[in-house]
Amino acid sequence: MFKSLAYKEWIKLRIYWGLIFLAHFVFCLFLCLQLRRVCKINDALPVWDNWLFKDYLFFRACQYGPLLIGIIFAALQFFPEILSKRLRLVLHLPLGEERVVGAHLLVGLGLLTLAFLPGMALLAGYASLWFPPEFLLNLAYIYAPWLLGGYAAYLFAVFTLLEPAWRHRIINFLMGAALVRLCYFPTNYDGYIRLLPCLALATAAAVVLPLLSVNRFGKGYGS
Amino acid sequence: MKVIARLVLFAIGTLLLSHYLPEAYHLLVASKRARAPIIFYSCVRQEFLFYRYNEHGMAMVDERGTNYERADFEQLLPLDNYLQLLRDDRLPGEIAGVPLTPEKIRRERINLRVRPETMDTPMVPLYPLLEAENGRVKLEMPDDFMRIHHQVEFVLAASNAVDVAKSAKFTHAVVAAGFAFPPKLIAANATTLKPYDEGYFLVDQAGATYQLRMVRGEPDLKKISEVVPAAAKAQWESLNPKYIQVQELETHEIRCFLVGGDNRPYLVVGNDYRLIPLPVEDYEPSRDNLTIRGDLLNRLITMAREDSLQAVALNRDYTVVRRHHETLPALKDTTAGQLRPVIFPFITNFEADSTNYYGLFFEWGKPLALVVNGVLLLLSLAWLAFRKQLVLRRIPDLAAVAVGGIFGVLLLLLLPRPEK
Repeated sequence: MFKSLAYKEWIKLRIYWGLIFLAHFVFCLFLCLQLRRVCKINDALPVWDNWLFKDYLFFRACQYGPLLIGIIFAALQFFPEILSKRLRLVLHLPLGEERVVGAHLLVGLGLLTLAFLPGMALLAGYASLWFPPEFLLNLAYIYAPWLLGGYAAYLFAVFTLLEPAWRHRIINFLMGAALVRLCYFPTNYDGYIRLLPCLALATAAAVVLPLLSVNRFGKGYGS
Repeated sequence: MKVIARLVLFAIGTLLLSHYLPEAYHLLVASKRARAPIIFYSCVRQEFLFYRYNEHGMAMVDERGTNYERADFEQLLPLDNYLQLLRDDRLPGEIAGVPLTPEKIRRERINLRVRPETMDTPMVPLYPLLEAENGRVKLEMPDDFMRIHHQVEFVLAASNAVDVAKSAKFTHAVVAAGFAFPPKLIAANATTLKPYDEGYFLVDQAGATYQLRMVRGEPDLKKISEVVPAAAKAQWESLNPKYIQVQELETHEIRCFLVGGDNRPYLVVGNDYRLIPLPVEDYEPSRDNLTIRGDLLNRLITMAREDSLQAVALNRDYTVVRRHHETLPALKDTTAGQLRPVIFPFITNFEADSTNYYGLFFEWGKPLALVVNGVLLLLSLAWLAFRKQLVLRRIPDLAAVAVGGIFGVLLLLLLPRPEK
């Protein structure tokens, strides 16, 4: 049953996912070329100097990528289900409400990860040609809260979209925005390292939240 | 699972409200607060002078509160205002027998600020080790960066490769000196905009302090406790510094500011690395802002915290010549500041003055806040009973009120009711 659900989601999302993946990957490729340009037209020393002492990071342009992708992906995955009330059908499957929601979220989070990570792996791999391991650590430290922001945005977008009543939709949205904002403080190097466990825990715990909305959706609130 | 989901919703909601609600409160009650005065030490009057801020602006006053006109005030602080006095042809020829020349006054000026957050700040652990005696007028950046973990490595920026020969040479020197890897502290002034290079002060795992420089391409490593006079050896051996701020000034007098393992602040002065304990009282590095200003005749140390200000004037032999202490009106003394820890049982911050790292920083409310929580819990129970909703499913809601007080009540009102 899970396989069938996953296949259904894949059929529904594959074109959009392909486009998002491609857009993100091409953007990362563009950043690699930009890095190449910076390293080719400048001496290595000023480039390193800018990185180490002026905190210039060519990949900062990726900052809102995971956030945007998370929200867009949640909308693409769940809007069709809500608009035509198709979600009600799957909620009546013998799998049970919790497992159905879990399967949808698992597919969504998996596809999101597959959309984010190849681009970042490309960036990390290419940057390692020019910079030492400290730079890759820098990339990981800076990117980790943005990545968590992307997952949190996806989960709260689902939580908001599936909520049947407008008043609670707004509250859920505000809660999501308040949490995601915590992932976007200006930072350098490992400035987030002490907050990451808390953000990771809050994001991981938020996986169960859409269940509340689905439950209310199934009971027909707001319709 | 739905109960867990609801608990998670309340937990995240409480965490977020405990941050954003106090922030909103802070914006709401914001008012003009008295600013801390700026303190000077007058070498003419041998007393402290102040820029004090009030509702009319800034006043220039002395210790007794006498107001001064700008020109008179500047005349009392000739070493701080020498350029203006020179322009007005009012600069005295000498003070206390010391002849004043603009060049000498400029050269002897010191301004060193130590903020709590600079002691705990993120940085990439790659360090440029400058050539200390490069035979040039100006210092130059090296083409490699030093990394010290369990050995010393130099990474060449151009090729992104380790310079094996140089790394081996420096590692050998550091190992031979008995350095216990990895270093606990690495401190330097990584800039070429300074008159000379002190290199790096390193503190090893055993707490011993070293100074590493590069002189004509060769490592120059000193274990400080071995180069100081015998009388200071024991003091350096037990120092175990937790923070070092390197100074490279034209006079070569102050080598660095240092906080020892016992939280006491010191200046390291002169060729024999003399440790001068700073005579401030009750210094707490994670809370207090320290400023060390100096001129041709005196040193002035000020230590500021939220509710007090301390100043100590020293002569050039670092002997205390005058002290000043005053309390400042703090936010927590205002009505809004008093109410804050009663309304909010706890406040979650993600930033703190003591660090440049983000983290979870809790500010706990007064015991009275627990009473407020209790009252809110009783009211919530009564309200739920009145609405005939006092059921087991409401336990997460009531737990949120018991723990979060006002945060829990808001969540109770805003979030949907639990489903069967």
